[in-house]
Amino acid sequence: MTEHRGGPPDEYVEAEIHRLLSEDPAVAEQGITVVRRERALVLYGEVESPHRREEILRLVAERFPDVPITSDIGVIRAQAPTEIEQLP
Amino acid sequence: MIRIAAVGDMHLDEDVVGRFRPALEELPGCADALLLAGDLTRHGTESEARCVAQEFGGLGVPVITVLGNHDHQCDQVPQVVKVLQDAGITVLEGTGTVLECAGGRLGVAGVKGFGGGFAGRCASDFGEPEMKAFVRTANSRAEALGKALRELDCDLLVALTHYSPVPDTLAGEPLEIYPFLGSYQLGQAIDSAPTALALHGHAHAGTERGTTPGGVRVRNVAHPVIKQAYSVFHLGDQVD
Repeated sequence: MTEHRGGPPDEYVEAEIHRLLSEDPAVAEQGITVVRRERALVLYGEVESPHRREEILRLVAERFPDVPITSDIGVIRAQAPTEIEQLP
Repeated sequence: MIRIAAVGDMHLDEDVVGRFRPALEELPGCADALLLAGDLTRHGTESEARCVAQEFGGLGVPVITVLGNHDHQCDQVPQVVKVLQDAGITVLEGTGTVLECAGGRLGVAGVKGFGGGFAGRCASDFGEPEMKAFVRTANSRAEALGKALRELDCDLLVALTHYSPVPDTLAGEPLEIYPFLGSYQLGQAIDSAPTALALHGHAHAGTERGTTPGGVRVRNVAHPVIKQAYSVFHLGDQVD
């Protein structure tokens, strides 16, 4: 376990969040990218529902209460296609 | 002409049920079949499979699927497959099926596939037992796909996998994880038959289009990539 003491988040925190999101049964998201900025971590990616986005943020905040987190996670659109692709 | 709708990586659970359905209701008017490229569920539980059955069952077009790595997470594959089959969904794993469509006979061979990497930068069947098991899994699943493809008697042949057969459609993913996203052996299997189109998922940050070394068109239909309920491909004008 990486203990975080309020400084800029380090590479191990990034790795641990990435694995946490993949391996925690409540989340199981492998498509979230964790990017270190100077003073915070930014979570990028897309999920299938707003509920899943909230779960991700809740889980990360719970495990790393001192790490400032910015979320840029979107919910994937599920509308019917407007165009087809013609193949030979 | 044969019309194929396809999507993968929907990761269904109760919170997603109903999101795809309005678009899916339009399928009988625009596609002859719906192909699902695996990762239907979040953890591969029987209850999540019931969500898939509810969302993707009874659509008025045949639905054919392979499973993905997420669908294996809880070791309930037989139960998941049964729920899907009970909903009329055909589940392929090293097997194939032929559909009679208005535009001809559509053959689909499918396998989940596995990682291992791509030519010149791939894992080898050498060293520790764990590494050998990894590579042999990739080899055996690709061999099963090739055999299923070559055995189908149809007018138009489509390969359906979860893992990618080519690196082209992984562009956008970190290079370091390519060996976990697909294997060249799948591409080799696809090129061993007169395949018209190869569909896969798994690479959420990848791109849509690629080709095998043999020239077969490959499409990554992972939902986060296509950003719509499904993509539609029209193939084989020559069989009309």
